[in-house]
Amino acid sequence: MEFLSLLDITFFLLAGFGALVGIIFGAIPGMTATMAVAVCLPLTYALGLHHGLALLLGLYVGGISGGMVPAVLLNIPGTPSSITTTFDGYPMAQKGEGEKALKICVIASVIGGLISAAILFFFAPMLADFSIKFSYVEKFLIILLALSVIASLSSSMLIGLFSGVIGIWLSLIGNYSTSDGGNGKTRLMFDFMEPYLFEGFALLPVLIGIFGISTILLEAEKGVKNDLANERIKISKGSGFTFSIFNGRLTNLVRSSFIGTFVGMLPGVGGSAASVLAYTQEKNLTRDSSQMGKGAPQGLIASESANNALTGGALIPLLSLGIPGDSTTAVLIGAFTLQGIQVGPLFIPENTETWYIMMTALVFANIVMFFLMFYAIKYIAKVVMVPKHILFPLIVMMCVVGAYAINYGIMFDVWTLLIFGILGYLVQKVGLEVAPLIIGFILGSQAEIYFVKSLESFGTYSIFFTKSPIAMVLWGLIIASVMFAIVMSVKSRARQKMELTQVTGSTHTASGKRHDKDND
Amino acid sequence: MESGLSSLLSVSIDFGTSHLFFPRIIHWIMAILFALILVLKVIPFMAAVKRGERTMPIIGEARDNFRFFGTLILIAAYFYLMAVVGDMFPYTGYGFLMVSIAFVFLMSLLYLHDWTKKALTILVVNAIVAPSLAWFVLAKLFTITLP
Repeated sequence: MEFLSLLDITFFLLAGFGALVGIIFGAIPGMTATMAVAVCLPLTYALGLHHGLALLLGLYVGGISGGMVPAVLLNIPGTPSSITTTFDGYPMAQKGEGEKALKICVIASVIGGLISAAILFFFAPMLADFSIKFSYVEKFLIILLALSVIASLSSSMLIGLFSGVIGIWLSLIGNYSTSDGGNGKTRLMFDFMEPYLFEGFALLPVLIGIFGISTILLEAEKGVKNDLANERIKISKGSGFTFSIFNGRLTNLVRSSFIGTFVGMLPGVGGSAASVLAYTQEKNLTRDSSQMGKGAPQGLIASESANNALTGGALIPLLSLGIPGDSTTAVLIGAFTLQGIQVGPLFIPENTETWYIMMTALVFANIVMFFLMFYAIKYIAKVVMVPKHILFPLIVMMCVVGAYAINYGIMFDVWTLLIFGILGYLVQKVGLEVAPLIIGFILGSQAEIYFVKSLESFGTYSIFFTKSPIAMVLWGLIIASVMFAIVMSVKSRARQKMELTQVTGSTHTASGKRHDKDND
Repeated sequence: MESGLSSLLSVSIDFGTSHLFFPRIIHWIMAILFALILVLKVIPFMAAVKRGERTMPIIGEARDNFRFFGTLILIAAYFYLMAVVGDMFPYTGYGFLMVSIAFVFLMSLLYLHDWTKKALTILVVNAIVAPSLAWFVLAKLFTITLP
């Protein structure tokens, strides 16, 4: 318990402050936890390791939780992970039970967060312990697995893979670093770029650009409308909140938390997958699902406990394998590197104190989130009304500070923001996916080192299949994830075809139906 | 047969050109995937565009051109001028402060739809206070390098 002496009041204040700022970010539609972390990065430069961690984890937990506010009150998911919260939250808010709905969400969130923190605490060291024995071959295969999982969960595996490979390609720009055993020569660029790109693109400006600037470009294109200004929020009118709502909902709560944690562990899979999966499971398994989608507390519980459970889950591969579980942890990996932490199998055994401190910060952030949201929800609900014309310029400004200060004042890092802001915009416009691209970018240069070093020392490609039983298991998992994607796409194609035939079959009656609706 | 297979799989990497080994593989994968996407996605999509069922992304979409390109120009000017003004007052962060005030003001104006007196007042106050606060906290309290 030596680490307790390292905790001070500033530590807790920062975790609390982080949770508050995160909630605010999460609550503003279009702003995500990833952005909250990216925008607040400059603040952590000046803080020490432990204080920085407290702030970052607070932001992470708060940012994921905050998304429930506009989801319930405005039917707009504040973060992608709260999409299923809108299904039951908004109908409740329309009935004037907004406060009740939010309080249910808050409790589900904190329990989901704490369960996942507990799983993280027990599981991450085990996984790290196991992966310590991995050689370059297995490490390469792990990265391959991570990329194939992300690609298979994308809307189209082909597109997901292509996006991931583009990410890898971008990460290779620069020199083949001698510190990693490379020959120090540059590739994939013209000579005039060398002064700027010798080290390649810096991770954090790339992430901030893709998540910060491209979001703003996408909004600017739509004209930055403040369509919320006229909506009135009625927060509490109908029946109030009591803890008895949770009677008989324990299974749902625990199951959804586990689903959230598990989905969080899969690399590159966003929170929307977690909450959608938990929601559909509750729908399938519950005795009475007739009210779901019309304002049933059980839907809120499933959705919110799953999306908060994501936080602990996503940290598991990050801390034990060095592979980020979602886009927010992708930014966290950059922030950790800045603090001098190399995440990977050795992180927990070598930094036991830091590990305990992280766990404390995570649990504390969840608790602060609970109290802030439970008792101050009425006031927090107001931030969804902050006009975008005030907010967006400030976000650009903070992005600049974050990018500029990362390497102590390199103007090229700021331009990287714009380059990747535009790239992120184009990528999303032509239908490629950002998450695989980012994960590819983060893991690409390591993948190269593991791959080339394996071949240099063994001299044959067959080593990737025959090195060890673990390698074979990993190949099994890679094949399984590919098969999963194929099965899913065949299924969805079949469903589309069925819907299509139904649509063509019913076009004759469609006009009549519309007429009926008008009469309603 | 056995030896044939193993010689096929065996590989030796010349250290001098090892920086190109992995990128070459990635280029091949990219090319293959791109060809697949072209055949399986792009060609059907273009056919749908021709039939008028879908629109081309970016080119064929409605866009608020004024705000979109205004944003791009403002951001580019912001980044450029920050360095220029920053060089006049090195190590003070004044470049950041002054250019940020102008940038926040102009970008807010660009995005503001109803120019009422109240909205403009808030906008001006925000444009002055927020960058100053950020500059004070980051550059003065935390001594972070700013342009």
